[in-house]
Amino acid sequence: MPTRRDVLAWGAAVAAAPALAACAESPGAARRTEQAERRPGQKVNLVFWSWVPLQKAVALWNRTHPDIHVEVQIIPASTSGGYQKMHASLKAGTPPDLAQVEFYALPEFMLVNGLTELTAYGADKLEGAYVDWQWRQGVFGDGVYAIPQASGPMGYYYRQDLFERWDVDVPRTWDEFRQAAIKIRKRGRGARICTFPPASAMWFAAFPWQRGAHWIQADLETDTWVVDIDGKESLEVADFWDGLVRDDLVALMPDLQGGWYRAVQTGDLVSWPSAQWGDALLRGNAPGTKGKWRVTQLPQWEPGATASSNYGGSSTAILQGTRHPVEALQFAHWLNTDPGSIDLLIGAGYGWPAARIELEQTALGKPDPFFGGQVYNRVFQESDRNVDTSWQWAPTTTQSFSHIQDAFGKAIAQREPLVDALRDAQGRVVDDLKAKGLKARGA
Amino acid sequence: MSATTTTTDPDAARRAPVPAPPRRRRPPRPGRILLVAVLAIAAGYFLLPVYWLVVAATKSTDRLYGSFGLWFDDPRLLSNLGDIFSYDDHVYLRWVLNSALYAGLGATLATLFSAAAGFALAKYRFRGREAVFKTVLAGVLLPQTALALPLYLMFSQISLVNTYWAVLLPSIASPFGVYLCRVYAESAVPDSLLEAARVDGAHETRIFFGLVLRIMSPALVTVFLFQFVGIWNNYFLPLVMLSDDRKYPVTLGLTTWKGAADRVPELTQYTIGGAFVSVIPLALAILVLQRYWRTGLTEGSVKE
Amino acid sequence: MTTTRTGSPTPAATGRRSPRPDRAAWGFLAPFLAVFLFTFVAPIGYAVYQSLLTVERHGPMGLGEPTLGFAGLDNYTLALQQTSFIESFGRVFLFGLVQIPVMLFLAVTLALLLEHVSGRWAGVLRATYFLPYGVPGVIATILWGFLYVPGVSPISDLLGGAAPDFLAYDNVLWSLANIVIWEFTGYNMLIVVAQLRSIPQELYEAATIDGAGPWQTALRIKLPLIRPALVLTCVFSIIGTMQLFAEPLIIKLQAPAVTGDYTPNLSAYNDGFANANVYLAATKSVILAVVACALSFAFLSLVTRKQRSER
Repeated sequence: MPTRRDVLAWGAAVAAAPALAACAESPGAARRTEQAERRPGQKVNLVFWSWVPLQKAVALWNRTHPDIHVEVQIIPASTSGGYQKMHASLKAGTPPDLAQVEFYALPEFMLVNGLTELTAYGADKLEGAYVDWQWRQGVFGDGVYAIPQASGPMGYYYRQDLFERWDVDVPRTWDEFRQAAIKIRKRGRGARICTFPPASAMWFAAFPWQRGAHWIQADLETDTWVVDIDGKESLEVADFWDGLVRDDLVALMPDLQGGWYRAVQTGDLVSWPSAQWGDALLRGNAPGTKGKWRVTQLPQWEPGATASSNYGGSSTAILQGTRHPVEALQFAHWLNTDPGSIDLLIGAGYGWPAARIELEQTALGKPDPFFGGQVYNRVFQESDRNVDTSWQWAPTTTQSFSHIQDAFGKAIAQREPLVDALRDAQGRVVDDLKAKGLKARGA
Repeated sequence: MSATTTTTDPDAARRAPVPAPPRRRRPPRPGRILLVAVLAIAAGYFLLPVYWLVVAATKSTDRLYGSFGLWFDDPRLLSNLGDIFSYDDHVYLRWVLNSALYAGLGATLATLFSAAAGFALAKYRFRGREAVFKTVLAGVLLPQTALALPLYLMFSQISLVNTYWAVLLPSIASPFGVYLCRVYAESAVPDSLLEAARVDGAHETRIFFGLVLRIMSPALVTVFLFQFVGIWNNYFLPLVMLSDDRKYPVTLGLTTWKGAADRVPELTQYTIGGAFVSVIPLALAILVLQRYWRTGLTEGSVKE
Repeated sequence: MTTTRTGSPTPAATGRRSPRPDRAAWGFLAPFLAVFLFTFVAPIGYAVYQSLLTVERHGPMGLGEPTLGFAGLDNYTLALQQTSFIESFGRVFLFGLVQIPVMLFLAVTLALLLEHVSGRWAGVLRATYFLPYGVPGVIATILWGFLYVPGVSPISDLLGGAAPDFLAYDNVLWSLANIVIWEFTGYNMLIVVAQLRSIPQELYEAATIDGAGPWQTALRIKLPLIRPALVLTCVFSIIGTMQLFAEPLIIKLQAPAVTGDYTPNLSAYNDGFANANVYLAATKSVILAVVACALSFAFLSLVTRKQRSER
């Protein structure tokens, strides 16, 4: 047994610790952005964190801009480690100058004061170069906080050869999608129309988005976040997928993983409602299916409608704490609007450009042998025009996604309706917002 | 394999003088067959993922998903290895060297510090000794990953994050090492020897470096290996501390590759090949050094 | 562990005539203590301090610059009210209750069986069983991940329709347990082997003369004697289970059933890094450390009391 003296010694050690740790604390970013003095001819080094393989575009910048050197550090993608690192570095006051931040995550970074307000450095003058709704993803109040890079207008990828072999019509509505799923299930010898990945909440969100739902809206009058994950439209979408799951018409594997790639290669999965950036994933991971894919518009909830949706989208953010906001902004704008850079980024499969472009003048406007010579980006060009751009993201979206994913995973394992899972997530999301000290309520 | 002979030799030496010979060379009995079967199944279980790794490391990205996992298909190990090492400006080599540095230097310092502390706790009587020892014991019981987060915030206040020190410093305190060294020193370092050295006029530091360290060497090998493997296998600490991929250890580097693999498909193959290469040095070290480890543990940790 | 030494006399008890032994002792302790205080004690203190803080929101939609306030025990209340956090403890307890006994049973069985194998083969097998310990948990998880994923796994290729979905909601915890068992059985076996080695040969001989067969020798003589080793491995396994992190984090990509709050450690990590709430994360770290320490101490005192009553 410890003696009394031991206990005292322990107590002293524990008591001393907070004193050691009594350092300055700040709840958000530990360092504020300030422009450092720069002598004429002085070289500036910028660090850029990204998981998109955009090294070639950056190399082009470094060749053409010898006085501002950008170093790309490849970090894990978004929530599988990337944002974690960014939050940590902001907290530590050691952030990179620039970072890849998806649209949905921008409000979260606002919440920790993690983004540099850019109108002070002339960003408001750049607006005209970008697609309006993508530009607005980085606008909060009167400030501009990020330069948009790309979005993910959605389309419907399908294996033309297999659809023909099994005599399946390419679906134009979700009802026809279900009919096609039934045929493929019958004739495809183990094949499925696609997978329903329970862990891809962002992918799922794209369908309520297409249906006209708004999961979150800012009520500016009362400063309140209004959550509507279990609204009528969302429940209808959940119910639709539920039917496909119940009747074993879709696979249930996670997407964008080894098993999924294998199934895409072997033709066990024959279509994929997904974003424009999915082209690079198919091309890279299933090279053996070259020439067999085609792209068409997303199936519709109402016959004859043209509603589209958006899945993903990224910005180049200038994090709070940089010493070179002017140079960082200059680079971010160049990266996302320079024609040479855009072509290299397209090659890397970065998505649908945020810059206003003429399709035919970029690499996107060329016929693609992987898609049987189709100029498939014309489909996405049209899709891009039909996205409901009033959709907003909450400042706790990462948590919301994980609630939905947890609930979906559980629902599918225990054969409970997805509708209930959404209802469950609704309450949790309101709680998350409140726990962050924000005002929130259900719709 | 050479490792097998090295591991058997000392056993033979130790057991040779024992009069009762081990029962060997008997006709197989049911019990014997069961024994062999159980041991073989266990070996199969432990080798299965490693065997899969060896097979997978020889495949092209395409065949990785397209062929049966447990058999070779168009093996091309060398060209795979070439690709892995040259990818992204030889970053993989950097990771291996970083791992070696973190684990090698970290474990060396940890062993030395533990030896000194353990020796002091075992062989000196001073105020606060028990309190220190109890604190160290509490340190053994503390989950290290629970420390990583506050440690990160502390280090960030003093600009240590994203430096080699951020991973090295927390690796060189090994409470378990101190514990082992104390228990070992208590029984293995005779007081009379210390007294004799002191009578000869040797300074305490000389005694420690000249005499004690040598006597404690079996325990030190144990502590070193324990710490080396611990640091080499660590993931949480570098994940939290490092952002510059040139400072990553292998574990973190490979997971980064795996995470980026959907955009750059060949990275899946590189992750597997990289895992294969990274396992080899540690596997060899373990095979060669396990007999020392064993002796150390025998004398130290499990003393009744 | 302290208690396993209770029988041995304190060797330093004899008077020491050396010059200033106190100073020499502290000198030897200093390097370790300095690092220990800096990287063990201080972070705990810092975490306790941070767990008492909270963020206050300002500005339109709460997106203005935040400030820091004193929260008292609010973070602890919040953490303990999160069912997913409490469930994560339940999950690792369940995990440990199954995984640790299975692993230790395997380790002891293999160690005892290896006693009956002749020298060369014993070496080969021991090395084989021990090999996984050299494979980092992260890499082991990537490897097993490939063996688990339906469509890629050669195991499901071989078993065909009979193959279970290793990553399904109800299975994934045990698939993780399998990875941990694979990694650490050999390591624990080696500790047991070491302990068996330290048993004096005379004991066996005596037993053989008394007519005890191999089974009886194993059960009556060897098992009780390797108890200290088992206590040690048990404590380490408990601590290891409590800090389960890398395995679920990596397998999560393939297994949707693994949530962001799957283990206490993962939950704290997600709060601190993904959700940018370091104060709640610090709170969870403190709770985790307290629970892990309490469990290890509880286990040790339980074992000690039993040991004492047996004497």
